[in-house]
Amino acid sequence: MRMGIFKYIFSIIIFFSFIHAYGQEDSLYVQPEEKEPLKFLGLKFGVNVGRFADFQFKPERFSYEGSFDFNLNNKYFGIIEAGYSEIDLEKDTYNYSLEGTFFKLGMDYNMLKKYPSDFLGIGLRLGRANFSHSAENVSIEDDHWPLFTTSIDSRTYNTYWFEVSFGVKGELLKNVYLGWSAIVKVHISGGKDESFLPYDIPGFGKGGNTVNLGVNYYIYYQIPFDRK
Amino acid sequence: MTIRDIVKMKNTGYCILVLVAIHFFSCSDDKCNLETDTLLKTELLVQDQNLNQIKYIDSLSVYSDEWTDSIHYSKEGSNNSIFFMLSPNSDTTQIIITSTVVELNDTIFLYHKRNFVLISPECGFVVNFNIDSLANTRNYIDSVFIRNNEVSTNENGHIQIYF
Repeated sequence: MRMGIFKYIFSIIIFFSFIHAYGQEDSLYVQPEEKEPLKFLGLKFGVNVGRFADFQFKPERFSYEGSFDFNLNNKYFGIIEAGYSEIDLEKDTYNYSLEGTFFKLGMDYNMLKKYPSDFLGIGLRLGRANFSHSAENVSIEDDHWPLFTTSIDSRTYNTYWFEVSFGVKGELLKNVYLGWSAIVKVHISGGKDESFLPYDIPGFGKGGNTVNLGVNYYIYYQIPFDRK
Repeated sequence: MTIRDIVKMKNTGYCILVLVAIHFFSCSDDKCNLETDTLLKTELLVQDQNLNQIKYIDSLSVYSDEWTDSIHYSKEGSNNSIFFMLSPNSDTTQIIITSTVVELNDTIFLYHKRNFVLISPECGFVVNFNIDSLANTRNYIDSVFIRNNEVSTNENGHIQIYF
Protein backbone atom coordinates (compact mmCIF):
# COMPACT_ATOMS: atom_id res chain seq x y z
CA MET A 1 0.00 0.00 0.00
CA ARG A 2 2.84 2.38 0.90
CA MET A 3 4.47 1.53 -2.43
CA GLY A 4 1.20 2.52 -4.12
CA ILE A 5 1.27 5.95 -2.45
CA PHE A 6 4.91 6.49 -3.48
CA LYS A 7 3.98 5.50 -7.02
CA TYR A 8 1.28 8.18 -7.09
CA ILE A 9 3.52 10.83 -5.54
CA PHE A 10 6.27 9.96 -8.02
CA SER A 11 3.82 10.21 -10.95
CA ILE A 12 2.64 13.61 -9.67
CA ILE A 13 6.24 14.90 -9.43
CA ILE A 14 6.98 13.67 -12.98
CA PHE A 15 3.76 15.29 -14.21
CA PHE A 16 4.58 18.66 -12.67
CA SER A 17 8.21 18.49 -13.83
CA PHE A 18 6.91 17.99 -17.34
CA ILE A 19 4.52 20.92 -17.11
CA HIS A 20 7.23 23.11 -15.64
CA ALA A 21 9.68 22.10 -18.37
CA TYR A 22 7.06 22.72 -21.05
CA GLY A 23 6.39 26.17 -19.65
CA GLN A 24 10.09 26.98 -19.70
CA GLU A 25 10.71 25.79 -23.27
CA ASP A 26 10.44 29.23 -24.93
CA SER A 27 12.73 30.86 -22.44
CA LEU A 28 15.63 28.74 -23.72
CA TYR A 29 15.69 30.69 -26.95
CA VAL A 30 14.49 34.18 -26.06
CA GLN A 31 15.51 36.72 -23.51
CA PRO A 32 13.92 35.68 -20.21
CA GLU A 33 11.03 37.90 -19.25
CA GLU A 34 11.28 39.87 -16.11
CA LYS A 35 9.34 38.06 -13.41
CA GLU A 36 6.12 39.79 -12.53
CA PRO A 37 5.79 40.30 -8.79
CA LEU A 38 2.89 38.43 -7.23
CA LYS A 39 -0.12 40.69 -6.95
CA PHE A 40 -3.40 39.91 -5.26
CA LEU A 41 -6.11 40.42 -7.90
CA GLY A 42 -9.28 39.19 -6.25
CA LEU A 43 -11.20 36.71 -4.19
CA LYS A 44 -13.75 34.15 -5.34
CA PHE A 45 -16.26 32.42 -3.11
CA GLY A 46 -17.57 29.11 -4.39
CA VAL A 47 -20.23 26.55 -3.57
CA ASN A 48 -19.92 22.94 -4.66
CA VAL A 49 -23.32 22.48 -6.28
CA GLY A 50 -22.45 18.88 -7.14
CA ARG A 51 -23.12 18.07 -3.49
CA PHE A 52 -26.78 18.99 -4.01
CA ALA A 53 -27.07 15.98 -6.31
CA ASP A 54 -26.62 13.74 -3.25
CA PHE A 55 -30.38 13.46 -2.85
CA GLN A 56 -30.38 11.44 -6.08
CA PHE A 57 -27.02 9.66 -6.09
CA LYS A 58 -26.31 9.28 -2.37
CA PRO A 59 -29.62 9.79 -0.59
CA GLU A 60 -28.11 8.57 2.67
CA ARG A 61 -25.70 11.53 2.71
CA PHE A 62 -26.31 15.19 3.48
CA SER A 63 -23.30 17.39 2.80
CA TYR A 64 -22.18 20.81 1.70
CA GLU A 65 -18.89 22.31 0.64
CA GLY A 66 -17.60 25.81 -0.07
CA SER A 67 -14.34 27.39 -1.14
CA PHE A 68 -12.33 30.59 -1.25
CA ASP A 69 -9.73 31.19 -3.89
CA PHE A 70 -7.20 34.00 -3.75
CA ASN A 71 -6.15 35.18 -7.18
CA LEU A 72 -2.45 36.00 -7.58
CA ASN A 73 -1.64 37.39 -11.07
CA ASN A 74 -4.43 35.25 -12.59
CA LYS A 75 -1.83 32.50 -12.55
CA TYR A 76 -1.65 31.16 -9.04
CA PHE A 77 -4.68 30.70 -6.79
CA GLY A 78 -4.45 29.96 -3.12
CA ILE A 79 -7.36 27.65 -2.27
CA ILE A 80 -9.22 26.99 0.97
CA GLU A 81 -12.09 24.50 0.86
CA ALA A 82 -14.22 23.31 3.75
CA GLY A 83 -17.34 21.26 4.19
CA TYR A 84 -19.60 19.15 6.35
CA SER A 85 -20.99 15.69 5.77
CA GLU A 86 -23.37 13.39 7.61
CA ILE A 87 -24.69 9.97 6.77
CA ASP A 88 -27.75 8.39 8.25
CA LEU A 89 -28.78 4.90 7.27
CA GLU A 90 -31.70 3.19 8.96
CA LYS A 91 -32.23 -0.28 7.56
CA ASP A 92 -33.80 -3.52 8.74
CA THR A 93 -30.41 -5.09 9.50
CA TYR A 94 -28.48 -2.06 10.83
CA ASN A 95 -28.49 1.63 11.71
CA TYR A 96 -25.37 3.55 10.75
CA SER A 97 -24.46 7.19 11.32
CA LEU A 98 -21.41 9.26 10.48
CA GLU A 99 -20.80 12.95 11.00
CA GLY A 100 -17.77 15.11 10.33
CA THR A 101 -16.10 18.10 8.79
CA PHE A 102 -13.27 18.49 6.34
CA PHE A 103 -10.81 21.17 5.37
CA LYS A 104 -8.52 21.44 2.35
CA LEU A 105 -5.65 23.77 1.69
CA GLY A 106 -3.85 24.05 -1.62
CA MET A 107 -3.08 25.84 -4.80
CA ASP A 108 -4.27 26.02 -8.42
CA TYR A 109 -2.05 26.86 -11.36
CA ASN A 110 -3.64 28.53 -14.42
CA MET A 111 -2.12 27.39 -17.71
CA LEU A 112 -4.10 29.94 -19.78
CA LYS A 113 -2.39 33.04 -21.07
CA LYS A 114 -4.86 34.32 -23.65
CA TYR A 115 -7.97 34.58 -21.44
CA PRO A 116 -6.40 35.09 -18.03
CA SER A 117 -9.63 35.77 -16.13
CA ASP A 118 -10.77 32.23 -16.99
CA PHE A 119 -9.02 29.14 -15.72
CA LEU A 120 -7.78 25.91 -17.16
CA GLY A 121 -5.23 24.21 -15.04
CA ILE A 122 -4.17 21.91 -12.33
CA GLY A 123 -4.39 21.98 -8.57
CA LEU A 124 -2.92 20.40 -5.49
CA ARG A 125 -4.63 20.05 -2.12
CA LEU A 126 -3.89 18.64 1.28
CA GLY A 127 -7.09 17.49 2.98
CA ARG A 128 -7.99 16.73 6.57
CA ALA A 129 -11.25 15.30 7.91
CA ASN A 130 -12.41 14.93 11.47
CA PHE A 131 -15.34 12.60 11.87
CA SER A 132 -17.00 10.00 14.06
CA HIS A 133 -19.21 7.05 13.19
CA SER A 134 -21.19 4.39 14.99
CA ALA A 135 -23.59 1.54 14.25
CA GLU A 136 -26.51 0.00 16.11
CA ASN A 137 -28.65 -3.10 15.68
CA VAL A 138 -26.17 -4.68 13.29
CA SER A 139 -27.55 -8.12 12.46
CA ILE A 140 -25.33 -10.77 10.94
CA GLU A 141 -27.17 -13.70 9.39
CA ASP A 142 -25.72 -17.04 8.39
CA ASP A 143 -27.04 -20.48 7.48
CA HIS A 144 -25.40 -22.13 10.50
CA TRP A 145 -24.74 -19.56 13.19
CA PRO A 146 -27.69 -18.13 15.13
CA LEU A 147 -28.61 -14.55 14.31
CA PHE A 148 -26.02 -12.24 15.86
CA THR A 149 -26.88 -8.65 16.73
CA THR A 150 -24.37 -6.12 17.96
CA SER A 151 -23.68 -2.39 18.28
CA ILE A 152 -20.45 -0.55 17.61
CA ASP A 153 -19.77 2.46 19.82
CA SER A 154 -18.89 5.82 18.31
CA ARG A 155 -15.28 6.09 17.16
CA THR A 156 -13.55 9.32 16.14
CA TYR A 157 -10.77 9.71 13.59
CA ASN A 158 -8.63 12.26 11.80
CA THR A 159 -7.83 11.43 8.20
CA TYR A 160 -5.32 13.13 5.90
CA TRP A 161 -5.12 12.87 2.14
CA PHE A 162 -3.54 14.49 -0.90
CA GLU A 163 -5.39 15.62 -4.01
CA VAL A 164 -4.43 16.39 -7.60
CA SER A 165 -7.06 18.03 -9.78
CA PHE A 166 -7.52 19.18 -13.32
CA GLY A 167 -10.30 21.65 -14.05
CA VAL A 168 -11.79 24.65 -15.80
CA LYS A 169 -13.56 27.81 -14.64
CA GLY A 170 -15.28 30.21 -16.97
CA GLU A 171 -17.00 33.52 -16.33
CA LEU A 172 -20.51 33.01 -17.65
CA LEU A 173 -22.09 36.13 -16.16
CA LYS A 174 -20.34 39.15 -14.76
CA ASN A 175 -18.44 37.98 -11.68
CA VAL A 176 -20.17 34.59 -11.76
CA TYR A 177 -18.07 31.59 -12.72
CA LEU A 178 -18.86 27.98 -13.38
CA GLY A 179 -16.24 25.35 -13.01
CA TRP A 180 -15.53 21.61 -12.99
CA SER A 181 -12.62 19.66 -11.79
CA ALA A 182 -11.69 16.00 -11.90
CA ILE A 183 -9.84 14.90 -8.79
CA VAL A 184 -7.60 12.05 -7.71
CA LYS A 185 -7.43 11.67 -3.91
CA VAL A 186 -4.71 9.62 -2.27
CA HIS A 187 -5.04 8.59 1.36
CA ILE A 188 -2.06 9.51 3.56
CA SER A 189 -2.99 8.51 7.10
CA GLY A 190 -5.74 7.94 9.65
CA GLY A 191 -9.31 6.70 9.62
CA LYS A 192 -8.61 3.20 8.31
CA ASP A 193 -9.70 1.23 11.33
CA GLU A 194 -9.98 -2.26 9.85
CA SER A 195 -12.24 -3.44 12.65
CA PHE A 196 -14.87 -0.83 11.72
CA LEU A 197 -14.17 0.83 8.39
CA PRO A 198 -15.83 4.22 7.84
CA TYR A 199 -18.32 4.05 5.01
CA ASP A 200 -17.56 7.50 3.59
CA ILE A 201 -14.86 9.84 4.91
CA PRO A 202 -16.06 13.47 4.62
CA GLY A 203 -14.30 15.13 1.68
CA PHE A 204 -12.30 12.01 0.80
CA GLY A 205 -14.89 9.39 -0.13
CA LYS A 206 -15.04 5.65 0.37
CA GLY A 207 -13.24 4.78 3.57
CA GLY A 208 -11.91 1.42 2.40
CA ASN A 209 -10.09 2.87 -0.61
CA THR A 210 -6.54 4.21 -0.73
CA VAL A 211 -7.33 6.14 -3.91
CA ASN A 212 -10.67 7.79 -4.65
CA LEU A 213 -11.72 9.64 -7.77
CA GLY A 214 -14.13 12.53 -7.76
CA VAL A 215 -15.67 15.36 -9.73
CA ASN A 216 -16.49 18.78 -8.32
CA TYR A 217 -19.01 21.07 -9.90
CA TYR A 218 -18.71 24.59 -8.54
CA ILE A 219 -20.39 27.97 -8.91
CA TYR A 220 -18.19 30.92 -7.89
CA TYR A 221 -18.85 34.54 -7.21
CA GLN A 222 -15.96 36.90 -7.64
CA ILE A 223 -16.03 39.71 -5.11
CA PRO A 224 -15.79 42.74 -7.41
CA PHE A 225 -13.25 44.90 -5.72
CA ASP A 226 -10.53 46.64 -7.74
CA ARG A 227 -11.79 45.02 -10.94
CA LYS A 228 -12.00 46.92 -14.24
CA MET B 1 -12.57 28.42 -28.37
CA THR B 2 -12.58 30.10 -24.97
CA ILE B 3 -12.97 28.52 -21.57
CA ARG B 4 -16.49 29.92 -21.56
CA ASP B 5 -17.26 27.85 -24.65
CA ILE B 6 -15.67 24.81 -23.05
CA VAL B 7 -17.66 25.38 -19.88
CA LYS B 8 -20.88 25.73 -21.84
CA MET B 9 -20.07 22.67 -23.92
CA LYS B 10 -19.16 20.68 -20.86
CA ASN B 11 -22.29 21.98 -19.18
CA THR B 12 -24.39 20.40 -21.91
CA GLY B 13 -22.40 17.19 -21.63
CA TYR B 14 -22.76 17.20 -17.87
CA CYS B 15 -26.54 17.68 -18.08
CA ILE B 16 -26.78 14.71 -20.45
CA LEU B 17 -24.61 12.65 -18.12
CA VAL B 18 -26.78 13.61 -15.14
CA LEU B 19 -29.95 12.67 -17.01
CA VAL B 20 -28.49 9.30 -18.00
CA ALA B 21 -27.29 8.70 -14.45
CA ILE B 22 -30.69 9.66 -12.99
CA HIS B 23 -32.32 7.25 -15.42
CA PHE B 24 -29.85 4.51 -14.47
CA PHE B 25 -30.26 5.03 -10.74
CA SER B 26 -34.01 5.30 -10.90
CA CYS B 27 -34.03 1.86 -12.55
CA SER B 28 -31.84 0.28 -9.87
CA ASP B 29 -33.60 -1.66 -7.13
CA ASP B 30 -32.94 -1.68 -3.42
CA LYS B 31 -31.47 -5.20 -3.50
CA CYS B 32 -27.94 -6.16 -2.62
CA ASN B 33 -25.98 -7.09 -5.74
CA LEU B 34 -22.58 -7.57 -4.11
CA GLU B 35 -20.82 -10.63 -2.74
CA THR B 36 -21.55 -10.81 0.99
CA ASP B 37 -20.28 -14.29 1.94
CA THR B 38 -17.12 -14.44 4.02
CA LEU B 39 -16.43 -18.17 4.08
CA LEU B 40 -13.43 -20.17 5.18
CA LYS B 41 -12.37 -22.87 2.74
CA THR B 42 -11.48 -25.99 4.72
CA GLU B 43 -9.63 -28.58 2.68
CA LEU B 44 -9.78 -32.15 4.00
CA LEU B 45 -6.88 -34.38 2.98
CA VAL B 46 -6.82 -38.00 4.14
CA GLN B 47 -3.39 -39.63 3.92
CA ASP B 48 -3.81 -42.31 6.56
CA GLN B 49 -4.38 -45.66 4.80
CA ASN B 50 -6.57 -47.00 7.62
CA LEU B 51 -8.89 -44.00 7.42
CA ASN B 52 -9.02 -44.34 3.65
CA GLN B 53 -9.92 -48.00 3.97
CA ILE B 54 -12.88 -47.32 6.24
CA LYS B 55 -13.91 -44.38 4.01
CA TYR B 56 -13.58 -41.91 6.86
CA ILE B 57 -14.10 -38.84 4.72
CA ASP B 58 -17.22 -40.15 2.96
CA SER B 59 -19.19 -39.98 6.19
CA LEU B 60 -17.51 -36.91 7.62
CA SER B 61 -19.51 -34.03 9.10
CA VAL B 62 -18.55 -30.71 10.60
CA TYR B 63 -20.51 -28.79 13.22
CA SER B 64 -20.19 -26.34 16.04
CA ASP B 65 -21.95 -26.40 19.40
CA GLU B 66 -23.80 -23.21 18.51
CA TRP B 67 -25.00 -24.45 15.14
CA THR B 68 -28.49 -25.75 14.63
CA ASP B 69 -27.28 -28.10 11.89
CA SER B 70 -24.10 -29.60 10.48
CA ILE B 71 -22.25 -29.72 7.17
CA HIS B 72 -21.94 -33.15 5.58
CA TYR B 73 -18.97 -33.73 3.33
CA SER B 74 -19.87 -34.50 -0.24
CA LYS B 75 -17.30 -35.76 -2.69
CA GLU B 76 -18.98 -34.43 -5.80
CA GLY B 77 -17.72 -31.05 -6.97
CA SER B 78 -16.21 -30.21 -3.60
CA ASN B 79 -12.46 -30.43 -4.35
CA ASN B 80 -12.13 -32.08 -0.92
CA SER B 81 -13.36 -28.87 0.68
CA ILE B 82 -16.15 -27.56 2.81
CA PHE B 83 -16.99 -23.90 3.36
CA PHE B 84 -18.35 -22.19 6.45
CA MET B 85 -18.38 -18.84 8.18
CA LEU B 86 -16.32 -18.28 11.31
CA SER B 87 -18.12 -17.22 14.46
CA PRO B 88 -19.55 -13.69 14.11
CA ASN B 89 -20.14 -13.36 17.88
CA SER B 90 -16.77 -14.42 19.27
CA ASP B 91 -13.06 -14.21 18.48
CA THR B 92 -12.81 -18.00 18.76
CA THR B 93 -14.51 -20.52 16.51
CA GLN B 94 -14.81 -24.11 17.68
CA ILE B 95 -15.37 -26.66 14.94
CA ILE B 96 -15.97 -30.35 15.62
CA ILE B 97 -15.16 -32.95 12.98
CA THR B 98 -16.96 -36.22 13.23
CA SER B 99 -17.44 -39.33 11.10
CA THR B 100 -19.92 -42.17 11.56
CA VAL B 101 -17.23 -44.79 10.92
CA VAL B 102 -15.07 -43.82 13.94
CA GLU B 103 -15.73 -43.46 17.64
CA LEU B 104 -13.89 -40.23 18.45
CA ASN B 105 -14.24 -36.66 17.23
CA ASP B 106 -11.64 -34.02 16.56
CA THR B 107 -11.98 -30.39 17.54
CA ILE B 108 -10.32 -27.35 15.97
CA PHE B 109 -10.15 -23.97 17.67
CA LEU B 110 -9.60 -21.03 15.34
CA TYR B 111 -8.52 -17.79 17.00
CA HIS B 112 -9.29 -14.73 14.93
CA LYS B 113 -10.15 -11.03 14.80
CA ARG B 114 -13.50 -9.81 13.51
CA ASN B 115 -13.83 -6.70 11.36
CA PHE B 116 -17.22 -5.17 10.66
CA VAL B 117 -17.53 -3.54 7.25
CA LEU B 118 -20.52 -1.70 5.79
CA ILE B 119 -20.09 -2.73 2.15
CA SER B 120 -23.08 -0.83 0.77
CA PRO B 121 -26.34 0.65 2.04
CA GLU B 122 -28.27 -2.19 0.36
CA CYS B 123 -26.03 -5.07 1.51
CA GLY B 124 -25.35 -3.79 5.02
CA PHE B 125 -22.58 -5.15 7.20
CA VAL B 126 -20.36 -8.17 6.63
CA VAL B 127 -17.82 -9.62 9.04
CA ASN B 128 -14.29 -10.08 7.73
CA PHE B 129 -11.95 -12.32 9.71
CA ASN B 130 -8.25 -12.42 10.27
CA ILE B 131 -7.10 -15.79 11.62
CA ASP B 132 -4.27 -15.45 14.13
CA SER B 133 -3.69 -19.05 15.12
CA LEU B 134 -5.36 -22.39 15.70
CA ALA B 135 -5.24 -25.43 17.96
CA ASN B 136 -6.61 -28.92 17.44
CA THR B 137 -7.02 -32.34 18.98
CA ARG B 138 -5.11 -35.19 17.32
CA ASN B 139 -7.40 -38.21 17.40
CA TYR B 140 -7.39 -38.51 13.62
CA ILE B 141 -5.98 -35.14 12.60
CA ASP B 142 -2.30 -35.25 11.77
CA SER B 143 -1.74 -31.54 11.09
CA VAL B 144 -3.55 -28.32 10.19
CA PHE B 145 -2.09 -25.48 8.10
CA ILE B 146 -3.33 -21.94 7.57
CA ARG B 147 -2.87 -21.19 3.86
CA ASN B 148 -4.62 -17.81 3.81
CA ASN B 149 -5.60 -16.12 7.05
CA GLU B 150 -7.73 -13.35 5.49
CA VAL B 151 -11.41 -14.24 5.23
CA SER B 152 -13.39 -11.51 3.50
CA THR B 153 -15.62 -10.88 0.50
CA ASN B 154 -12.45 -10.38 -1.56
CA GLU B 155 -10.10 -12.93 0.00
CA ASN B 156 -10.72 -16.65 0.31
CA GLY B 157 -9.46 -17.74 3.68
CA HIS B 158 -8.09 -21.25 3.44
CA ILE B 159 -6.96 -23.97 5.87
CA GLN B 160 -5.82 -27.50 5.13
CA ILE B 161 -6.49 -30.41 7.49
CA TYR B 162 -4.41 -33.55 7.04
CA PHE B 163 -5.70 -36.82 8.54
